[in-house]
Amino acid sequence: MKDVLRLAGAQIRVTLRERVSLFWFLVFPLLLLTLLTLIFSGLGEDPRMTFDIALFQQSVPQAEAPDFAGIVEHVFTDASKPVGDRPPLFRLTIHAADAVSRYEEEMERLRLGRLDLVVVVPAGFNDAVLSHLGGSDEAAAPIEIYTSAGRASSTMAHDVVRQILAGVDREILAIAGRFNREAAVSITRREIGTGTEAFSYIDFLLPGIVLMGFFTAGLFSVPGTILFGREQGILKRYWVTPLSTSRFLLGFGIGHMALCGVQFSLAWLLAAVAFGARVSFFSLLPALYLVLAIVVFLAFGFLIASLAKTGNAGMAIANIVNMPMMFLGGLFFPISDLPLPLKILMMGNPLTYLADGLRTSLGVDVAVFPILATFGVPLAWILVSVAVAAHRLRLEEAT
Amino acid sequence: MSDTILMRVTELAKRYGDTVAVDRISFAVAEAEVFTLLGPNGAGKTTTLEILEGIRRPDSGAIEVFGRQMPRIDRAAKQRIGVLLQEGNFEPYLKVREVLHLIGSFFPVARPVNEVLESISLANKANALVKTLSGGQKQRLAIGAALINNPDLVFLDEPTTGLDPQARRNIWEIVSALTRAGKTIILTTHYMEEAETLSDAICVMDHGKIIAKGSPRELTASLAQETFIEFAVPEVSEQQLARLACECETLREQAGLISLQTEDLIDTIDRLLSWSREEAVSIANMTVRQPNLEDVFLALTGRRLRE
Amino acid sequence: MNALRSLLLAEARIFLRDRMSLIFTALFPLLFIVIFGSLMSDFGSSGGARLGVLLSPDADLEVLGTVLDSLGNIEWRTFEPLDALDTAIEKRQIDLGIQWSGARIEFIYNAHRTQENYAYEEIARAIVSRLELAAQGASSVLAVKHESVGSGSEADWFTLVVPGILSFSILSAGLFAIAGHLSSMKERRLLSRYLVTPMRPSALLFAIAVVRLAVVFSSTLLTLAVAMLMFRLHYDIDWFRYILFIIASTLGTMGLGTVIARVVRQASSASNLASAISLVMMFVSGIYFPIEIMPAFLQKLSLAMPLRHMADVMRYVTGVMDMPDRDYWIILGAFVGLAFALFPLLARYVVTAEKH
Repeated sequence: MKDVLRLAGAQIRVTLRERVSLFWFLVFPLLLLTLLTLIFSGLGEDPRMTFDIALFQQSVPQAEAPDFAGIVEHVFTDASKPVGDRPPLFRLTIHAADAVSRYEEEMERLRLGRLDLVVVVPAGFNDAVLSHLGGSDEAAAPIEIYTSAGRASSTMAHDVVRQILAGVDREILAIAGRFNREAAVSITRREIGTGTEAFSYIDFLLPGIVLMGFFTAGLFSVPGTILFGREQGILKRYWVTPLSTSRFLLGFGIGHMALCGVQFSLAWLLAAVAFGARVSFFSLLPALYLVLAIVVFLAFGFLIASLAKTGNAGMAIANIVNMPMMFLGGLFFPISDLPLPLKILMMGNPLTYLADGLRTSLGVDVAVFPILATFGVPLAWILVSVAVAAHRLRLEEAT
Repeated sequence: MSDTILMRVTELAKRYGDTVAVDRISFAVAEAEVFTLLGPNGAGKTTTLEILEGIRRPDSGAIEVFGRQMPRIDRAAKQRIGVLLQEGNFEPYLKVREVLHLIGSFFPVARPVNEVLESISLANKANALVKTLSGGQKQRLAIGAALINNPDLVFLDEPTTGLDPQARRNIWEIVSALTRAGKTIILTTHYMEEAETLSDAICVMDHGKIIAKGSPRELTASLAQETFIEFAVPEVSEQQLARLACECETLREQAGLISLQTEDLIDTIDRLLSWSREEAVSIANMTVRQPNLEDVFLALTGRRLRE
Repeated sequence: MNALRSLLLAEARIFLRDRMSLIFTALFPLLFIVIFGSLMSDFGSSGGARLGVLLSPDADLEVLGTVLDSLGNIEWRTFEPLDALDTAIEKRQIDLGIQWSGARIEFIYNAHRTQENYAYEEIARAIVSRLELAAQGASSVLAVKHESVGSGSEADWFTLVVPGILSFSILSAGLFAIAGHLSSMKERRLLSRYLVTPMRPSALLFAIAVVRLAVVFSSTLLTLAVAMLMFRLHYDIDWFRYILFIIASTLGTMGLGTVIARVVRQASSASNLASAISLVMMFVSGIYFPIEIMPAFLQKLSLAMPLRHMADVMRYVTGVMDMPDRDYWIILGAFVGLAFALFPLLARYVVTAEKH
């Protein structure tokens, strides 16, 4: 047993001492965790964005006639005021009817993305509203919105402005007696799947990052160590001793699992301390999934190693396999609707099932796959990987 | 050197596809002797070694070692064998001490690491990472790894290649110490001096077969009648050389260096001197010597040890 | 001239035989396009949502139905009873559930779909505003006419991603040409072998640059072609600016690769550092996620990323986003400047012997 344990210990030491492997094993997953959390932390919360908007008021109010255009302007102006400590929704510039040259300028600014949106209340707006209210055959009063092509903030501003205009619509109708606010439809909202607390993105992300860490460790570190070890004659020095290949693999595997354990602990620590993650891995089912994942990717790493003759070839294969498997495994984004070829890739990917099973067992997601599949498919992968590797992998190949 | 046979190889054979690498060879290694395997590249020497080191399977033949018959070197045998590989590395990011510790753990019994470190003069580098070691230090570490299990049989595959003369002498001392302690050594080398000085028995291989066996003295005795005269000349043509009519083997070593192998020393020198006068060729740096292992090797295989 | 030609051929062969380089610069972008094209299409645009409706016995489906149909981009069907609807939502067969009783409307969400629910909430709001009017028989007073200004005519999110991916492959090609290829030549003492001959270092650099340019051109054009054919995207390419920028940015990123190679002591770590940096840049440069959704300090950080500007320019020259032409020339100039400024550094890197 001591040979196995010493091998494991050597494996751990070497990985932690070599800057490159240390980076990919430990630093990179943590970095990714941090980046993705920071980027997506704002999602789902109220957007605290301020949009740059210009409003062209081309309608001139008539005396003694209701100024609907003024209502529109008023609503936008209101939205440009800060509410409490929150920044205002708009930074608004209002241009009067005669500012024709400014119109060209502002449209140009819009085109270049310096403005998010331009609203134009055309001349004759008030009349158009009145006549529509007068007879129901009359067309509705036009109001123009211009957005900047291809810019996300402009698209968001568009959605917000549409809502506002819908509100204006109702307000005008209410004033005209066409709309009874009291009789408005009551709106409620319900959520399915919340346990006791709402989960934030970090709770959804952490299991994915943890699995990704195990995946890249198995995919790159395992074949890298084995293939380069064989290539450089490091393994050869072992085979002239009584050490058997199976004991070597056992020691290697134990070392690998210990490293994955370190990786997992650091990720969990970071997520909990820095980002307030609340998931707990301290129960049977999550722990089982974690161990299963480590073993699946360890075996997978052996499979990759058995497919390549040299270290460089192995790394090339790993790189090709990496991206599709990782992104089609539902690690960062839930997989909803995919076209068929990708769906097939997704269904065959052990990551998909492990991610689903792990998240469900942690309570941050509702199961998409039956629990049997979440164990069965990864186990099948282990069997296949081991079978192929056992058949093909020649550790003792003397050059 | 005792009479007990530690390892006996019988009709050992190995082929790769159509090529026969090892062609049914047989030899015996006595206990506590230094047995040297010589041969040019491609002679089958490396393959033979790998089979005896237990990292390659023979196609046929019998191996008897430590009094046991086995088709190939098994794990139990490996416990008493130590191997210094010609090529191979250690994990660059392990410390010297950790390497010995690790390899020691592969054997049921191992010497204390500190003792081995002392014996290979690496005690002061015990905590250095392998990647910081020089070539000579790495070689000593490899020897330490080969001896950590206190083996009875030690394979030293080109132990001094690429080392400076001082380091080479250190290794020779280690080898002597080992034989004095009763260890058996199977050695390969490209250095004639080393083969001559260290070996008790030599086995010369070529094209997968053994073409000569014996002690260094016995081997050179095959050329006992011969004397070698070597000298330097400036540019001399083949025709000119042909006019040196002596009863001798002529060999042009490199441009300007001629070697004559003759049974009749006096006659040859006489003719050589006449020739130099007649052809007006000046002779310099003339040496007369007895045959050595290099000459034997050349006579047997047509190639030099160091090629 | 002969030396240059042989160097060019040698560099070309080496590149084609080095599987890793080939993968990262050519295969990678293609793979990304295909995968992300399918994955991320609901980001930023409210794409086709599936709604499930449960009606109370006295509710009027027609009113709701008309509203739902008027929205477009939505498929919907009715469910019965409530459990069936809830289960469908849980299993993500339905994105948004509606329970409509005539006077009350309840929207039902899957709590776990934290990233997508905001899009469904927008749909809910749109439904509410139309429904309120329709329920009272009122019709909108306002007719909102929307026009999108600028090229690309409301390019969807994926159309914007593709140029971003192209810029990433240019970055990879440039970075790894130096902090990868050249650095490994140095480590393996190959450079020393070349340098003891009369070969001029600039000839080698030129050969490396030309091969990379050829690769970048082929891979970006191939990727664009695939995107246009497979996903029916539309690009309006300004060839003059496109070609100029590809050249400038490839050379500029080679300059950046030099900085990386100089910073690390061991040549083999250079390519790892380059990988790490380019991956991080990828996330922060607004290639896949619109920059606007990131917190303010990350948005500022992205301005410092060369990749961000490369992506913007690539979107500009492929006609999906507008920028002032002046900005294009400034960025182009910056990359050219980078290449020239770092060239002496690069030349010195080539010529200095590898330290231990």
